[in-house]
Amino acid sequence: MRAYTPKDDVQAKAYYTDRFYVSPQVPKQKPESDEVFNADLEAIKAKFEVTDAYIQVEQLVIYINANDIYGVLELMRDELEYTQLSEMSAIDWLAKGNKFEIFYQMLSMNKRKRIRVKYFIENGQAVDSVEKLFRSADWSEREMFDMFGIEANGHPFMKRILMPYDWQGFPLLKTYPLQGDEFAAWYEVDKIYGKEARDIIGPELRDTAKVDRYDSERFARLGHEVPKGTKITGNEPKNEQNYQEDDGVFMIKKFDKKDSVVIDDPQR
Amino acid sequence: MAQHKVNYTQDGGLPVALTSIDKIVNWGRSNSIWALTYGLACCGIEMMASGASRYDFDRFGTIFRASPRQADVMIVAGTLTKKHAEFIKRLYDQMTEPKWVISMGSCANTGGMFNTYATVQGVDRIIPVDLYLPGCAPRPETLQYGVMLLQKKIRANEASRAQKAKRLM
Amino acid sequence: MAQIKNRLTPFFENITFDREDNEMILNFGPQHPSAHGQLRLMLHLQQEQITKAHPDVGYLHRGMEKMAENMIYNEFMPTTDRMDYIASSSNNYGFALAVEKLVGLDVPRRAQVIRMMLLEINRLMSHLFWLATTALDIGAMTVFLFAFREREYLMDIIEGYCGARLTHAAIRIGGVPLDIQDSFISQLRIFLDKLPQNIKDYEDLLDTNRIWLMRMEEVGTIPTEMALSWGCTGPMLRASGVKWDIRKEEPYELYDEVEFDVPWSDKGDNFARYRIYMEEMRESAKILYQTIDMYQKCVKDGQTELMAHSPKYISAPKLDIMTQNYSLMQHFVLVTQGMRPPVGEVYVATESPKGELGFYINSQGGPYPYRLKMRAPSFWHTGILTDLLPGHYIPDVVSIIGTTNIVFGEVDR
Repeated sequence: MRAYTPKDDVQAKAYYTDRFYVSPQVPKQKPESDEVFNADLEAIKAKFEVTDAYIQVEQLVIYINANDIYGVLELMRDELEYTQLSEMSAIDWLAKGNKFEIFYQMLSMNKRKRIRVKYFIENGQAVDSVEKLFRSADWSEREMFDMFGIEANGHPFMKRILMPYDWQGFPLLKTYPLQGDEFAAWYEVDKIYGKEARDIIGPELRDTAKVDRYDSERFARLGHEVPKGTKITGNEPKNEQNYQEDDGVFMIKKFDKKDSVVIDDPQR
Repeated sequence: MAQHKVNYTQDGGLPVALTSIDKIVNWGRSNSIWALTYGLACCGIEMMASGASRYDFDRFGTIFRASPRQADVMIVAGTLTKKHAEFIKRLYDQMTEPKWVISMGSCANTGGMFNTYATVQGVDRIIPVDLYLPGCAPRPETLQYGVMLLQKKIRANEASRAQKAKRLM
Repeated sequence: MAQIKNRLTPFFENITFDREDNEMILNFGPQHPSAHGQLRLMLHLQQEQITKAHPDVGYLHRGMEKMAENMIYNEFMPTTDRMDYIASSSNNYGFALAVEKLVGLDVPRRAQVIRMMLLEINRLMSHLFWLATTALDIGAMTVFLFAFREREYLMDIIEGYCGARLTHAAIRIGGVPLDIQDSFISQLRIFLDKLPQNIKDYEDLLDTNRIWLMRMEEVGTIPTEMALSWGCTGPMLRASGVKWDIRKEEPYELYDEVEFDVPWSDKGDNFARYRIYMEEMRESAKILYQTIDMYQKCVKDGQTELMAHSPKYISAPKLDIMTQNYSLMQHFVLVTQGMRPPVGEVYVATESPKGELGFYINSQGGPYPYRLKMRAPSFWHTGILTDLLPGHYIPDVVSIIGTTNIVFGEVDR
């Protein structure tokens, strides 16, 4: 029987996992264990609903509702001194619950603290743009759209940023293969030469493990290069590569190895 | 070091040399290979290093030009992505004949370590390549060696005959 | 000669004149010698003044985050080299630190000292490279040649350590693979002793140079609010009046044991940034002198450990692998299947030469990270051009791009 490969997640999988293996957890602390974080959390809790909060690896993680994000970040920026949005992006949980997890990494320079604000959205749902609060979200949200297809409401320029505008598919989805789909494979050929050139140029060579003994170029073996198309027997002598032809070059002095100097200490 | 003072009396007297048109044209071509600055990624830094003080590319007559119309050789130094692919074709078309292409580094040769959706698997899918330099990133010495091999290749060609345009298709 | 047939439309979008409001649209890049990589800028111009700027990035997007999801943790390390390829070790370090925080490893002291040496050498290399290219863009070819000369000496030292000039992969998860070579410290000392004079040479060439001053002073001024809002970090933020250096504020490795200053300025213009890069080189040299002493103390104390001891995550030393059966088995599992960090997530920021380099890792207990997001400083330093360029003139574009010190391996990843 052929092994079952899930269609909703085509990323690399561990080829062997012990059935009885239970992975440990990164320890979580209660928010009360840190005074500064606790005060911040109480301030957010007073106005918005916080579904979960804990400290993990020295940073506070809070889960909020998707609709509150603008309000929470505004509160954090204006009253809690979290002046910088370091990073924001999404995590694909489509295979597990048809949802995305969005995280915002906040930094307070006065308190020297970092908080991660997170929430879940359904597949197809848009997020609220925080571009008005933090200009850095302008590009982050575009990148999120480019990679996951999550749109941001109220964003001034919701277009792809890293991939070309005419690209199809969202690369960081778990359903998108690492080496691209059919569209990606022929993108540059179709665009430059047209579809009819596919046969002439041929498919991409994607097999990293492929070793061709009769590869006509063999640029990995210096001194054993052969012209393109030559049949290789495998026991050609090594041909010494000279920079100049044997009978000399017109108007150029012949390089003599004996006259050259090797510098031992470059910093002399 | 090069001998700066030209000694006219060395090889039998007068500063006159008899040669064929082919040789003199090829001499000119091979010793003034002007390269297009085409630093795409990491290899571009090594390309700059080979143009800078220690490796000094000017010795080979290789001077980096910023315009494809003044360049003879395009050194594709770095990863070519699918988004960029059309521009390399445009720039290659803008270069005047005769023109050569050096593909520098694994990424330009075959896609290298970036076996992903966004990378062109070898620049020779877009433009014809004369010389492949291995390495990630190749050392400046490799590029120098490559340029010297290219000089050798140019000298081996017939210069006087009408150049045949290189085409991928 | 007939052009080779292709489907590309004739390229007239390079310069567009809009007749009604006399606006010109200039396309800058993606292949431009002074764009520091593959930056494409669409500039709307009134005469020579920019009214609107639209940076377009992604010409070097190679899908690194996707690669990370398909690679075991150790396998991904060489890929981080190609992010900020001017200072590779700082990326290696950012990733290694994030994984170490995730699994909770303690790195031996000697490895920490070596890491700090590598990081500071990389900072020097990066700043020298910045100085060289920016000066070249402004037109100071001499400084380019001088700075590259010094950079080559540093590359010799690094090459002696890890064998590569540019892509080092010199830092591993849990420590460093090798001890520094014998000539490392002596060569570094020779370099550091010469460095103040070299920096002074560059300053003599630039600080009073009329052209340099005209293109640097009062050009590209970034107000503090704008820098914070755009997520600027590193020298970009410090030039705009915020004294924030992660090495000082959230110390990692042994940065709390060394003494150094954080140069900052409240001017926010190109010249302030240039001054900060120069001062940071001096501070790096100061740190390097101290790490040499720390290293020699480690040697004297007989500390030889270079990798963390953690059989679940880190392979044993080579000698154990060759002599002990259990170490060999464990090494085999770690290489073929990869380490399996605990379930959880981590965001770790380090101060790379360009700014805050952060790695966010979400692990679901498997050998592959479930999600890995790289927070590259240059991404936002490119984004700020949208707001920074309008109002400036065309010649300013080059000097502003120069001083933002963007690297496109990092922007596009």
